[in-house]
Amino acid sequence: MKNKPLAIEVYDLTFGYSKNEPVLENVSFAIEENEFIGVIGPNGGGKSTLCKLLMGFLRPWEGSIAIQKKVPTNYPNGIAYVPQNLRYDKLFPISVFEIVLQGRLSHLSFFGTYSKEDHKKALHALELVNLIEFKDVPFGTLSGGQMQRALIARALCSDPQILILDEPTANVDIEREQDVYELLLSLRKELTILMITHDIQAVIQHVSRVLLVQKHVVTFEPKHLCEHFALGLYHYPLIGASKSHFPTSDFARTNFKK
Amino acid sequence: MNEFLLPLISSPLFFYALIAGFLASFVGGVIGSYVVVKRISFISGSISHSIFAGIGIFLWLERVKGISWISPLEGAFLAGILSALIIGWIHLHYRQREDSVIAAVWSIGMALGILFVSQTPGYNVELTNYLVGNILWVTKQDLYFLLILDILVISLVVILHPRLLAICFDEEQATLQGIKVHRLYLLLLTLISITVVLLMQIVGIILVMTMLTIPATIANLYTKQLSRMMAISVALSCLFCLIGMVLSFYFDFPTGASIAMTAGTFYVFSLFTRRQEA
Repeated sequence: MKNKPLAIEVYDLTFGYSKNEPVLENVSFAIEENEFIGVIGPNGGGKSTLCKLLMGFLRPWEGSIAIQKKVPTNYPNGIAYVPQNLRYDKLFPISVFEIVLQGRLSHLSFFGTYSKEDHKKALHALELVNLIEFKDVPFGTLSGGQMQRALIARALCSDPQILILDEPTANVDIEREQDVYELLLSLRKELTILMITHDIQAVIQHVSRVLLVQKHVVTFEPKHLCEHFALGLYHYPLIGASKSHFPTSDFARTNFKK
Repeated sequence: MNEFLLPLISSPLFFYALIAGFLASFVGGVIGSYVVVKRISFISGSISHSIFAGIGIFLWLERVKGISWISPLEGAFLAGILSALIIGWIHLHYRQREDSVIAAVWSIGMALGILFVSQTPGYNVELTNYLVGNILWVTKQDLYFLLILDILVISLVVILHPRLLAICFDEEQATLQGIKVHRLYLLLLTLISITVVLLMQIVGIILVMTMLTIPATIANLYTKQLSRMMAISVALSCLFCLIGMVLSFYFDFPTGASIAMTAGTFYVFSLFTRRQEA
């Protein structure tokens, strides 16, 4: 059976913030298009750093990254990012619609105006996340779940191929969590999704594959998740994980930096 | 009312000062709104104080070295833009020690200015005027200069507003969208430095931050839209200038301090009333 095209390729990547202290070491993996990946691991294990590297905000010490066969620092790179809503200033004077329109920044005219098409896309994204009636509401007055959906709408508005979410249900009421997951599941036909999460139950239920990030990265099926993980004990030996079994294209190998 | 305002308007000094105040308020209200929402008041404070180095050096060159074609105002612009670029570079590449370096730029700028002004004849008057402002110094030529800078800054803001809004709200998202975030950030700091020099002529270096942040902070209490916040901020700034100048005219107070005290009083009052409403 023919493999799907690869959306993300990481080849022998090493990165750290201070000399001789790598946060990620010899990391290699590949993600196919339309996969829904759960990214788990202990705090400080390198999950957020890995996502920043994929988005091109950080540059690897060694190794290479390919996003749709291109280096991630070529913006716009096809990636949309949904951060945690806690990081935003609730007093910032901005409406939901203005935030969603920011997904179309790369289409702005020289004179700083959005086209009709941009407005249409923003409205469509708001409809998709069920927030159209909140379009003129100040962002800071939304609930945690609504904020998260507004940020997802902004991400969708940029027509991404890859969607990276940082704990999308971390500040969302338990009863609204399911809405977020249903939305993500409906998007997986069109997008490759990477979701950083500590919610092991959600990983078991929804994702197609898991990346365990703990200085190194191992990938495995959700069915191999161990109940110890929910307690924060992320161990390798008991699972049928693989550190080295991954397909990479010529692009990733030829761009290898050492 | 007419009896009260007529002597003010009929005085050319006061009239020019009022127009200068309004022109500076316009750009101060707009750029000040970015300063408040991006939470870069400390950075702006450093820029505003470091321009004193440019004033001091250029004043010394003009008076002591006899270079007549330069003026302290040009020195202020040069020092403002230079410190904006230095602080911007530190923010982008050296965040770990950002606050200490910004504080150093702040104090080095002030110290350089004081040193050079102290070596310039008649420095006591100059020092006071630049530090606490003297809007009654404004000439017709200054007004044209203020108007040109207003047009330049506002035109740039009109074209760049969606991009500036994006970098103020979320720099990472703007980067992912291919926006040149670093360049825009440096441009924003440069616009702040130009605004600071404009406001300096009204209220002086020490009180510039009052006019840059208080109108916008009050406006932020009453609206949740940045463009409206800018409009309210401009209106408030003009009002503070008018009230401050009237107080200064009738009670013989220093104009800069009168304007700043008016702004401060309105801020305390608005905080109190908003809390009552909440």
